[in-house]
Amino acid sequence: MALYNFKKIMVVPTAKDFIDITLSKTQRKTPTVVHKHYQIHRIRHFYMRKVKFTQQNYHDRLSQILTDFPKLDDIHPFYADLMNVLYDKDHYKLALGQINIAKNLIDNVAKDYVRLMKYGDSLYRCKQLKRAALGRMCTILKRQKSSLEYLEQVRQHLSRLPSIDPNTRTLLLCGYPNVGKSSFINKVTRADVDVQPYAFTTKSLFVGHMDYRYLRWQVVDTPGILDHPLEERNTIEMQAITALAHLRAAVLYVMDVSEQCGHTLQEQLELFNSIRPLFANKPLIVVANKCDVKKITELSEENQKIFADLTAEGIPVIETSTLTEEGVMQVKTEACDRLLADRVENKMKGKKVHDVLNRLHLAMPAKRDDKERPPFIPEGALIRKRAMEVDAPKRRLERDLEVELGDDYILDLQKYWDLMNEEEKHDRVPEVWEGHNIADYIDPDIMKKLEDLEKEEELKERAGEYDSDDESEDEDMQEIRVLAKQIREKKQLLIVQSKDKDVHGPRMPRTTTKVERKKLEKEMGELGLDMNDKDDSHYAQQARRSRSITKKRKREASAPPTSKTRSQSASRPPRDQSGIRDPKMAKKAKKMMKNSQKDMNRQGKKGEADRHVFDLKPKHLLAGKRKSGTNDYR
Amino acid sequence: MPQNEHIELHRKRHGQRLDHHERKRKKESREVHERSHKAKKLIGLKAKLYHKQRHAEKIQMKKTLKMHEQRKTKQKNDDKTPEGAVPAYLLDREGQSRAKVLSNMIKQKRKEKAGKWEVPLPKVRAQGETEVLKVIKTGKRQKKAWKRMVTKVCFVGDGFTRKPPKYERFIRPMGLRFKKAHVTHPELKATFCLPILGVKKNPSSPLYTSLGVITKGTVVEVNVSELGLVTQGGKVIWGKYAQVTNNPENDGCINAVLLV
Repeated sequence: MALYNFKKIMVVPTAKDFIDITLSKTQRKTPTVVHKHYQIHRIRHFYMRKVKFTQQNYHDRLSQILTDFPKLDDIHPFYADLMNVLYDKDHYKLALGQINIAKNLIDNVAKDYVRLMKYGDSLYRCKQLKRAALGRMCTILKRQKSSLEYLEQVRQHLSRLPSIDPNTRTLLLCGYPNVGKSSFINKVTRADVDVQPYAFTTKSLFVGHMDYRYLRWQVVDTPGILDHPLEERNTIEMQAITALAHLRAAVLYVMDVSEQCGHTLQEQLELFNSIRPLFANKPLIVVANKCDVKKITELSEENQKIFADLTAEGIPVIETSTLTEEGVMQVKTEACDRLLADRVENKMKGKKVHDVLNRLHLAMPAKRDDKERPPFIPEGALIRKRAMEVDAPKRRLERDLEVELGDDYILDLQKYWDLMNEEEKHDRVPEVWEGHNIADYIDPDIMKKLEDLEKEEELKERAGEYDSDDESEDEDMQEIRVLAKQIREKKQLLIVQSKDKDVHGPRMPRTTTKVERKKLEKEMGELGLDMNDKDDSHYAQQARRSRSITKKRKREASAPPTSKTRSQSASRPPRDQSGIRDPKMAKKAKKMMKNSQKDMNRQGKKGEADRHVFDLKPKHLLAGKRKSGTNDYR
Repeated sequence: MPQNEHIELHRKRHGQRLDHHERKRKKESREVHERSHKAKKLIGLKAKLYHKQRHAEKIQMKKTLKMHEQRKTKQKNDDKTPEGAVPAYLLDREGQSRAKVLSNMIKQKRKEKAGKWEVPLPKVRAQGETEVLKVIKTGKRQKKAWKRMVTKVCFVGDGFTRKPPKYERFIRPMGLRFKKAHVTHPELKATFCLPILGVKKNPSSPLYTSLGVITKGTVVEVNVSELGLVTQGGKVIWGKYAQVTNNPENDGCINAVLLV
């Protein structure tokens, strides 16, 4: 499929770079280690892989070059001709042919050497064969140096060609150099073509786009053509001729009425006649440019006759001036209309139309009586349409004012305000006065409102809405309230007491510690229960029962008498308190203990004897090739 | 200027940055330091390539410098007589060259008959049988070891057909059969790819000669009709001897020097 973009062609490297890239790629992407004592098939495979890898890379890259570059037979004849003009078809084809030959030669070399390597019986022999193979492939490529350079230059130029679509609606500008073609295209489109007083300012095709009737149009500007036969034309002029020959476009032949371009009207007419055959089947318009300097009516008789003849033949002659912009729009509309009509006519003649026409059917409802029912267009729409056509001046917009004043413009929205006193519009409004915010007092009735509100509040208060419901409570509620208050106080007291307690060790929840009988009876007594003589209570009985079950213990011969062990354990202080003189030292000892545990905890070790390694051979340290230099470690 | 050269167009219309020339000058002068840094810090294969390239560049630079220097001085050399200038008493001597040629030809013919001639490689390492012939085991139990396969490059003639596989003792694999050699003419210093006619002598052993094994030092007959050599008598020479100068099994090609 044709590429009208030509920008996707990959860079063609120089021969030296190409060789360097491929060889370094082979060195990096294939295994590098082989030893004499490996099995011979392994050695052979190692070297064959390198040869094939290099061959593959060369083959791929060269094939890519061959497919990327457009085949002159496959693309649109306009581009084929343009490329022939610019790059010489023969040279282009030869260069690509050479690349193809090089590709085949490289493939053959690789094949031969791989076949030879099958008989290699030593590492040295296989290595030499691989060296010879790679060397041969690189030499083949070195010989292609000039082809590659040429192709790179072609690619660069090709990617910079303007993207002209040969099939869409196009207007083509042609004429002598310096007649005003580039100025025209600058006026009509957004293309920024260089306009200079010397001839051949435009040296290649330029394209600009414009809109008309909701369609996109291409305008193509060509370099000027001089009047000599086709064989003597140089590359620049040939580009214009190619565009004229292949693009199906509306041709705008631009003539310079004032003869400022340096060629008389007669000469311009000669040129017109000589390239007339190229205008066959194309809508043609003659643009008489630079009419601000000289009008057609100011010309001599014979020159006026030229234009009269042209008009008589049916070719519209339109006077324009790209400087004052008169006539430019007219040319545009005329050319576009003609081209559209031409294209529609051609499409109707073709075969594809019938597919569409067969499916189209305009249904007209059958008349049921004689009443006229014309389409209804509301009045406003008609007025607006008329206004659009007439282009009546609307009310003056801020934007217009801005454009007019330029740098002096200041945005003044206060002029639109609707005040009772017109002179006060531009007064500055203060914000604070005597310590009060003016915005708070903006309401004119505000004092009255405040008085009303205060009166209301007084009434409400008097009615008793804000009184508290003290008397409505009955005896029970009050008692409950008193008790609740006591409970709260007691709770707070308990909390403070518990905080003051000096607990040795972690704070255990209340449920883990045993409640002593004495404590229980004391607390309940404080609350008011009768706690005397409670030996038969359930908690006392339970205690007696549990003690009897757990009391039994086996007597061992080696165990020292319980009196002694008990006394020792009582006298021996626990290990974290032995040898410690004061709380400061205790704190320090505890800190040291915590410090030594930090590392182990971080590594998730169970204790200081845990030497388990989770990952004996981490991949990020051991994988990959060693770059140059030696290491004892890994 | 083409339509899509935006950078150049912008430069043309608006000129360049105000500090453009300053920056350019500084960048160029920094290049020297960067190059030296690179030359010092590169290691490995890249360093070798870079140093090789740089060495070539430096040689070129030195040559041009020397050329510029030499132009300044003109040396006068009295000792050398210009060539072609012959003193008067030697002017009559013409016939000698012809005689020499004739006698040379006779000497050559005699040498050929004797089988001795001057060769570029007079001494060559002899290849033992274990090196050149590999033992192939055959038979139902792979015990018979009378077949041999040639591991070096060999030449078989055009009309060569193998003996029936059951009886052939020496196997010359097709992958190792070569027909062409790259022959260098020692005086012309040009190399041609010429077809081989046959193996004349393999210095290691007459067995190899009869098999057609080509190793380093083998004398081979090549078809030189491409060169267009003509004898004194006007006959076209189409076969000449050449001696192989490389190890064909390592390089994959036969390089030889023509024996003139």
